[in-house]
Amino acid sequence: MTEGRVMIETRDLRREFGGVKALDGVSLTIAEGERRAIIGPNGAGKTTLFNILTGELEPTAGRVLLAGEDATRRSPHELARRGLARMYQRNELFEPLPARENVRLALAAAAGPYRPASPGPRDRAAAEVLLERVGLEGRGGVPARSLSHGERRQLELALALAQRPRVLLLDEPTAGMSPAETARITELIASFDRALTLVIVEHDMDVVFRLADRISVLHEGRVLVEGAPEAVRGDRTVNEVYLGKVVA
Amino acid sequence: MKRPAAIAALSILGAAALVTFPLWSSGWESSRYATTILRDMLVLAILALSLDLLVGSAGLPSLGHAAFFGAGAYAAAIAAQRLGSDDLLLGFAAAIVVSALLALVIGLFAVRAAGIFFLMLTLAFAQMVFALAFQAVDLTGGSNGLANVHRPMLFGLDFNGPEALFELVASVFVLVLLLLWRVRASTYGRALVGLRENERRMRALGYDTTRLKLSAFVLAGALAGVGGALSGWSLRFVSTNDVGIGRSIEAFVSVLIGGTGSLVGPAVGAVVVLFVERVLPSSIPFAETVLGVLFIVFVAAARQGIVGLARAAYARVRAP
Repeated sequence: MTEGRVMIETRDLRREFGGVKALDGVSLTIAEGERRAIIGPNGAGKTTLFNILTGELEPTAGRVLLAGEDATRRSPHELARRGLARMYQRNELFEPLPARENVRLALAAAAGPYRPASPGPRDRAAAEVLLERVGLEGRGGVPARSLSHGERRQLELALALAQRPRVLLLDEPTAGMSPAETARITELIASFDRALTLVIVEHDMDVVFRLADRISVLHEGRVLVEGAPEAVRGDRTVNEVYLGKVVA
Repeated sequence: MKRPAAIAALSILGAAALVTFPLWSSGWESSRYATTILRDMLVLAILALSLDLLVGSAGLPSLGHAAFFGAGAYAAAIAAQRLGSDDLLLGFAAAIVVSALLALVIGLFAVRAAGIFFLMLTLAFAQMVFALAFQAVDLTGGSNGLANVHRPMLFGLDFNGPEALFELVASVFVLVLLLLWRVRASTYGRALVGLRENERRMRALGYDTTRLKLSAFVLAGALAGVGGALSGWSLRFVSTNDVGIGRSIEAFVSVLIGGTGSLVGPAVGAVVVLFVERVLPSSIPFAETVLGVLFIVFVAAARQGIVGLARAAYARVRAP
């Protein structure tokens, strides 16, 4: 883990939805290579935070910095080009297209669509390598919609990795998975390059404690507590608002 | 012979047979009539193919595509008239530039909307273009249209005769088909499909989807303009019909009946549409209603279109 350099910073981020404060002044500092978990009860503002970080939603107030440069109110494609990738909570795949073609579209994004050439053998090989990386070897020809739920989550991950991101936002990576699938995808994420900054929203505390270097607890749109996993686990207020309900 | 090679050989033979149709059909009693009908089918096919780039590939249902067809038709005719030149390349250049520019202007507004709103916006803009063509009498002849459009020449080649003109239309049709075949296989064509299937994910991957849609809109508009220029030369006449909602619907119905899943589907659809509109009425009563019935049948029961149905049937026959 590279010390010092800040990869993501939010300053007093606020977002209201018709009077409801989804984010009420969130300030986070996430270092390059850090693996940060954001936890909190439903409605705490976790997905709103992700949607603002990726540019899909504009904040009412506050700023976002990506690698020290302003990234507030930038379009999603611009932020993607600056190294931000996202695994969606609900899969956002190209459903009728084969898994392989899903990955190829993600790989081709870097060079852009305005090339006359068709994808060559090198593009195809790169897609196969990524499918294998996420455990989908031999499944490249299957349409995304015909894959199992676990496989679809793996494909989500492959699309994000294909972007060669500097920051990867994982929105409930293990949602809806069986214990075996959860274990597999958790180890897969744990095996990622340590230079990649991870921000993980997750309800499964085993997954959180397995992956996170630091944890921020979000509650009613604010950061309630932030610290190392052991410290957060032992924190009394955290147990009251959140953990108590999950790991009694 | 391997399958791709066989397909390539058949395609070249088919293209050659198509372009030389007036020559080998000259013995037929109705060769002249058939040549005229087929020529008009190919012009509509070019319009339908260009529309399919939006409807089929990118998932953008435009109901105003005739605006660009008409713009191309007017541009080629007016450029020739004002500059006193019947040069083929001048005609095409004028058609492409004007229709592409118009598509750029309309597209800047339209591509920001999605689904039914995109459809309504393209329809509304096309109606504005129609009104403009109707009222700019000095330029377009208004409701009288532009009669006596000269057929073009190229390097001394005269496309005035019906055979030569047919060969021109058929050649351009083949070129458009070839271009769209390349586009579909390219990274660009695949990105358009990605746009159709999941625009949100495309943005998250780093694609500027607004620009991507705009580029497709302009490319489709320019190709429609090429079809429009050919229409003006074919009929020696350009009128507000060429920018009207009727032409837009003809193209849209061609795409839906033929099928969006394949390259040639919209062209097959165009042949069916003009056959029903122009040939059928002489042999059966109430022929005009056939198109409506066909349309309903395909939308309700066979969204994959004629080519999709044919493919499925072929797959069933081949399956052991």
